[in-house]
Amino acid sequence: MLRTVSVSFLCLFFILVQGCSTRSSQANRVVIWHQMRPDEGNILQRQITRYMREHPGVEVVQLYKETEQLRSSYVVAALAGQGPDLIHGPSDPVGIYEATQSIKPLEDIFPQSYLSEFDSSSLLWYKGHLYQIADKIGNHLALVYNKKYVQKPPQTDVELIKLSKSIQEKYGYVAGRPNVYGLTWNYIEPFFFIPFYTGFGGWVFAEDGVTPALDNQSMVNALNFIRSLRDKEKIVPNEADYEIADALFKDGKAAMLINGDWSWAGYKQKGIDIGIAPLPKITSTGLWCAPMTSPKGFSLNINVRSEKLPLIVDVLKYLLSEECQLETVKELQTAPTRKSLYKNPFILSNENLQNSLLQIKLGRSMPVVPELRAVWDAMRPGYQAVMGRARTPEQAAKDMQALALRKIKEMNE
Amino acid sequence: MSKNKFFITFLVLPAFVLLAAVVFYPFLYNVALAFGNMNLNKIRDWHFIGLRQFVKIFTEPSQPDFYAVFLKTIIWTVVNVTFHVTLGVFLALLLNQQIKGKSIYRTLLVLPWAIPQCIVALTWRGMFNYEYGSFNLILTKYLGLPAVEWLRSPTEAFLACILTNVWLGFPFMMVVALGALQSIPHELYEAAEIDGATWGHQLRTITLPLIRPVMIPAITLGAVWTFNNLNIVWLVSNAGEPSDNTHILVSFVYKAAFNFYSFSYAAALSLVIFLILLVFSLIFMKQSRATEAAY
Repeated sequence: MLRTVSVSFLCLFFILVQGCSTRSSQANRVVIWHQMRPDEGNILQRQITRYMREHPGVEVVQLYKETEQLRSSYVVAALAGQGPDLIHGPSDPVGIYEATQSIKPLEDIFPQSYLSEFDSSSLLWYKGHLYQIADKIGNHLALVYNKKYVQKPPQTDVELIKLSKSIQEKYGYVAGRPNVYGLTWNYIEPFFFIPFYTGFGGWVFAEDGVTPALDNQSMVNALNFIRSLRDKEKIVPNEADYEIADALFKDGKAAMLINGDWSWAGYKQKGIDIGIAPLPKITSTGLWCAPMTSPKGFSLNINVRSEKLPLIVDVLKYLLSEECQLETVKELQTAPTRKSLYKNPFILSNENLQNSLLQIKLGRSMPVVPELRAVWDAMRPGYQAVMGRARTPEQAAKDMQALALRKIKEMNE
Repeated sequence: MSKNKFFITFLVLPAFVLLAAVVFYPFLYNVALAFGNMNLNKIRDWHFIGLRQFVKIFTEPSQPDFYAVFLKTIIWTVVNVTFHVTLGVFLALLLNQQIKGKSIYRTLLVLPWAIPQCIVALTWRGMFNYEYGSFNLILTKYLGLPAVEWLRSPTEAFLACILTNVWLGFPFMMVVALGALQSIPHELYEAAEIDGATWGHQLRTITLPLIRPVMIPAITLGAVWTFNNLNIVWLVSNAGEPSDNTHILVSFVYKAAFNFYSFSYAAALSLVIFLILLVFSLIFMKQSRATEAAY
């Protein structure tokens, strides 16, 4: 009896251990990690389901992770020889993935003839290797406006302030707070501050592309400007993170919003008649507020074994196909990466999509270098402190630069 | 080996293998990392550099400052545990009385503990919003007080984290204290009443000494959990906002490891935290004579 129990127990244990270890390495199972919002994720799921229906016996699994979580979890997983087969996301962490040797170069896997079907900006080459093939270009911020409140989007900062004030006046105030704010955006993430910084002539890196350039007059002016929008002009809410800004716009409590192409479909689904416009020009500098733009696409895990590669390539080719891209463009109004689609009548006739493409043209490519990580982490506290009135713009600019330099030094130690 | 020992070994083996895989190995790997230089650029080819990470923790400036974070962690732990225990014991004393609808109150009071922490944290974060949060609506609309910048000012944001965690943590102490109270023989109170002891007297001389052996380990556990409670601080303050001013040591470690990829630095810091908690637990258990019999 004792023997039977012991042997059964042992067998069960080994079955469990075996089960855990082989699940992720199944030869006909492809796992994709991404940071897509629900609208985008639903389309991916639909495409995956279609692929699986056409390829019985193949299982494709998609798993959502929040942007920061995606990057850190993936690096740790890849380091441990695990992780998904494909990772989908914006291009900026690619520098980190390369530094941590977490992704495989793609140039020898896909023939040149295939790659030439894509717009050059959608193929991310870094340090001589192709590390990402994008299915979307942009991942950029633009001015989203509710057509119920805004008939003609503002072209300059002066027009933006004037229009916002007139909307706020029209819809009135309760306890000193406007029923409809003119504008809102996320005060927490420095990614949302970049358009203002570029509008005042700044850029995150110096000429060499790796030295932070955060302590300058452009930074001070840009920080002063956004603070004046809230404290002097009173056209933006006192406090807003991504969720609050998003909710205010969805609830009709903000007429205009600065948000990215990943969010636009959600507003349409909510029944809001939205318009997309390039972010306005800063009158004092004559420069457009230029958001960072980047391809958003797939990279291949370094740990993928060669025998599984054909299946993964097949899945990837399907997800990057014209059919899938057009489906995504129609639903999300994001910019495609296949050259052939730029002549598609739907794209040519869609005003929002054309404005989005114009915004991409006015934007600046997001650097891929790992130093950008240090810049984001250094900008965040200063940006938040200025919006929280805890630091002056001058002090915040100094602190951002010092912190970025220290973080880069630590990174390279 | 006898048949019995063979059987016992087989029963213990799976648990031991699992513990080795998920506790012993990661712990030893963490110790090794703490003496190395693993970071973003040396993630695969790191090597041992001795005590340099520890020297860095205690002597080099960091953002946020290590000593400020340490002080904040102590404040966080002491304030939270104090409120958890005080509220928990107080509510347990109330629930231990003969009151109508006791089981309903008990269920309602345990509710904060039953809700997943991340949901609680995100809900409370929404409630602390300056313009639309319920706290400021109550303050401004019903109490005529000025609105508080809960999430934008460092002190208020830290206070917001504490308030959330107090709400989350008292049910555990209440349940433990209630269990301890119910195990006290009623005869002791009857004898005390015959001797003319007041309620306060009974509390000091019977209740508190007799629940002590149960409460001391619970307080020790509560202190360790609170000291290491990443979820609340991370989610309520959205990763240390504003400007990394609401970190406690464990969120500081998390940020160092997974945002900045300073794995060895984070490993050294987590070892420091481990030693702090180990020393605290040993001293606290000894000083409070937790293992001594109550009767």
